[in-house]
Amino acid sequence: MDSETKTELSSLNDEFEQSTLRQMLLRFRRLKEHRFLVAQLVKVNIKRTYKRSFIGWSWLIIAPIFSVIAWVVLHGAGIMNPGDTEIPYPAYVLLSTSIFSFFLGSYQASSNALMEGARLMVTVRFPHEVLVAERIVVHLINFIIPFLINIIVLLFYGVSFSWISILFPLTLLPLLALGLSLGVFVALLRVVAVDLARIMDRLLQFTMFITPVIYAPKVTMPILAQIVDYNPLTYLLGFSRQLLISGEFYEPIAYTFCIVLSLFLFLIGFGIFTKFERKLIERMINV
Amino acid sequence: MRPVEEHPILLSIRDLSKKFAIDIRSNMLYGIKDMLTDPRIDYDQLRAEEFWALKDINLDLRAGDILGIVGANGSGKTSLMRLIAGIYTVEQGKILSRPDYKITSIFALKSGMQPLFTGRENIFIKGALFGMSKSEIEEKMPFIEDFCELGDRLDRPFGNYSSGMAARLAYSIAVATDPNIFIIDEALAVGDSVFKTKCFEHLKTYVQEGQRGVLFVSNNIRKILKIATKVIVMDQGKIIHNSSDVKEALTVYINNYLRDLPPEKRAAKLNSVKHYDM
Repeated sequence: MDSETKTELSSLNDEFEQSTLRQMLLRFRRLKEHRFLVAQLVKVNIKRTYKRSFIGWSWLIIAPIFSVIAWVVLHGAGIMNPGDTEIPYPAYVLLSTSIFSFFLGSYQASSNALMEGARLMVTVRFPHEVLVAERIVVHLINFIIPFLINIIVLLFYGVSFSWISILFPLTLLPLLALGLSLGVFVALLRVVAVDLARIMDRLLQFTMFITPVIYAPKVTMPILAQIVDYNPLTYLLGFSRQLLISGEFYEPIAYTFCIVLSLFLFLIGFGIFTKFERKLIERMINV
Repeated sequence: MRPVEEHPILLSIRDLSKKFAIDIRSNMLYGIKDMLTDPRIDYDQLRAEEFWALKDINLDLRAGDILGIVGANGSGKTSLMRLIAGIYTVEQGKILSRPDYKITSIFALKSGMQPLFTGRENIFIKGALFGMSKSEIEEKMPFIEDFCELGDRLDRPFGNYSSGMAARLAYSIAVATDPNIFIIDEALAVGDSVFKTKCFEHLKTYVQEGQRGVLFVSNNIRKILKIATKVIVMDQGKIIHNSSDVKEALTVYINNYLRDLPPEKRAAKLNSVKHYDM
């Protein structure tokens, strides 16, 4: 190698010699630089989902209506015994499942980002955090439209909203952070430890039954009551729900602790993703 | 005109090695292990069920070079290109270049292209994947339209394109990124001969302007003869021949790595190399 090489050229892998924290900041900066790519991939994702359907976007409205009908029928038939809910049960369960699905959807969207983008990642170089961002944006779009339908149903059931309910979108952020923290971690597991990833998928789906989603927070069964008490989702979800339907703060101290926990886990999850994600790309060759 | 040896170096590879696992289970197991410990430690040692995809690669690409890379399947050509493109990480050795140099690679022409979207919409999608901003793509749109020569067909769904049309569009978008180092991995294996000839002529003039070089992976001897200014021959993860004498390098390749060809076919290939008018 001659002298010009030594003076002008530098290692293309220098970025990976930096600390994880610097790499995390770099990823956020690159995400901003690649926002046009995120927008393009979001457009592709949504168009691909609905283009082949005759009723297209109407699915976003039809799906929540079916949910309402199902819960009304189950409750009317006396199959569900939800405990004492502040608002009519179908409205309660519709709102709760909607908030829970926001959390679960954040997890699912981010945890599948790498494997679903595997072919693209081994053929084109681009920042892979873009794939996570794309799926989160699509998830938000898929959440907002049915949620507006849910609001109409809540009004129909006589639920009134206070001015403070306008803060509701902010209360979803800790749920997003928690879903993402687990999702980006499981995205790595899905490449090298498929069984663990599947176990995590089942566990996350199961959390709906240990969170007051289809039943009221006051649980009579002692063991379940204790699990519900220690479950951060009880407070993250309960706070959002209570703020919207009554304008009250549900368990504010526990909620504050859960916010800090969610943000901490998000940083840990994103740090692990940053540190290992690129090393795992070559493990995707034979997926 | 300066001799090629005095042209600035665009890319320098030093002692580059890469190992992979043979089967899926080992691949996953080592993936977990490498997350828990630094894989660079003891990288020299192969673990059970591993093999060297690349071993001790040294290579320079200078401005003006069109470096042909030939070798049997599994010889490490694509792994080397993926490392240079930054798709795989480097654990052992160095890939040196200037940070402001743009590297564009095409491994699979249709990768990232969306069948439900029109050709024009795909220009924005693929352009963005190559790191271009919206304004950059808009600025390059006349060039892409002109280069791909698809006319009104640009506004038809990409899924309805023939492989030749798809190749025209995908290649034109890649060229529009104006890379300093352009990696073409078997990407011109499809498409119509008129367009391929146009691409070859374009690449020859492209590398003459500014700090530009091309890495051209192909086992098609005629294509390498047409375009390459240098050739490396790869086998089992190693460069076993590196020469600016294209004919000599191809003769080595044919004699050593196309042994399974019937003698008359091999002789015909050697003959075509020998009598090719450079």
